[in-house]
Amino acid sequence: MKLYVYCLAEGIDVRREPTLGISGASVRVLKTENLSVLVSDLEADSAPVTRENALTHAAVVRSVLDYFTPLPFRFGTVVTEQQLQSYLSTHKAILESKLESVRGRVEMSVKIIWENTIEQQPQSQNKSQVDKQGAGTMFLAEKRQQILGDEHRAAEASKISTWLHETLSELVGDEQVTLRPTERLVVSAAHLIERGKIGQYREKLAEMRQNRPDLHFLSSGPWPPYSFANIGLEFKTQFGVS
Amino acid sequence: MELSPKTNPLSAEPEIETSHAEEFVEQLRCVADTLPSRINIDAQSVEQGLAKLVLTLIEFIRRLLEKQAVRRMEGGDLSPEQIEELGLALMRLEAKLQELKTQFGLADEDLNLDLGPIGRLI
Amino acid sequence: METFVIEEWEETELSLLETLDHVLNRGLVIAGEMTISVADIDLIFVGLNVLVSSVETANEVLRKRQSE
Repeated sequence: MKLYVYCLAEGIDVRREPTLGISGASVRVLKTENLSVLVSDLEADSAPVTRENALTHAAVVRSVLDYFTPLPFRFGTVVTEQQLQSYLSTHKAILESKLESVRGRVEMSVKIIWENTIEQQPQSQNKSQVDKQGAGTMFLAEKRQQILGDEHRAAEASKISTWLHETLSELVGDEQVTLRPTERLVVSAAHLIERGKIGQYREKLAEMRQNRPDLHFLSSGPWPPYSFANIGLEFKTQFGVS
Repeated sequence: MELSPKTNPLSAEPEIETSHAEEFVEQLRCVADTLPSRINIDAQSVEQGLAKLVLTLIEFIRRLLEKQAVRRMEGGDLSPEQIEELGLALMRLEAKLQELKTQFGLADEDLNLDLGPIGRLI
Repeated sequence: METFVIEEWEETELSLLETLDHVLNRGLVIAGEMTISVADIDLIFVGLNVLVSSVETANEVLRKRQSE
């Protein structure tokens, strides 16, 4: 029997209504020293990525958000109790420091899309030149246009990201930003903010939307701090050094 | 901890605000697709998983080569004949990779790798 | 005040996609939980880390030689 692990919290005794987790198993609290973990029993070795499971995972982690800020585990974390205990004791110090850094805070997400047409590059070749060129040369000329356009878009994305950062800097404690995760997504940002500032944050976003009608915004939240949980721990775990 | 009467409890589902739902659905689907699928153990998906990996690497290198070729072309140290030859070779490489993608039933979006903190490979 | 109209199906789809974006690729990771195929890819990740930096270095060398 393995454990499906949802999130980490400090040793707070929370009187909760019983919650159902993955495969309908009951969610319970596992305590070690002063770290608590929400888990449920799982017979299988893994949990498939299904709509139901993903939403269940999110719901369980979210269920404690009214009481404290948990450190979410990634979806699909299935381990033996021993592996969990080993992980917790190895990383105790850094986990406690992370819990400290997210205390009283939540995560808000912003994603921005731009129109495809914004970044058209003027053709720098005239037609008579083009006719005389061989297929290989034309191929490289086209690639050149694409690369230049791409570099231009990268610069623009960077500018937009800076604008986002500067406008929200007073409200945001920490951020995780990805530039151009897809062709049309300019930036995908996660912001760690104090709970009391959610309203101000949303107001600022509304202002930003008005200031840039050429950009399309998607904001969501509040979330438990998924994007801030594993920072600094990646190389230790994923790359097998610990 | 203040909770104004208007705001929902934090344990409620996160609110989503956007004026362009359809576009974001499309883009977020792309993002979801490039994430490594972690629970495939059957033979066919292992093979396709390996093909994805290998072809992604080749695609990465192919793009570097293209960039390098364009730089050299712009640098002016290649003769028109050399440019033409280089271009044709890269064209063939692109076509070959397209063939391989088709053989393994992979789309352009399939060829990417999430390197975690480093970001995506392509 | 502007109100955004989101179709019901869009809202559900967006909600799921945003959720996936959060739970699938973020959050604490315990290395031991990876299944076999992922363990293979983990090793290659290490290799790729080295590969990425060596390709970048090679490119730099090419660029240097070019400018000499």
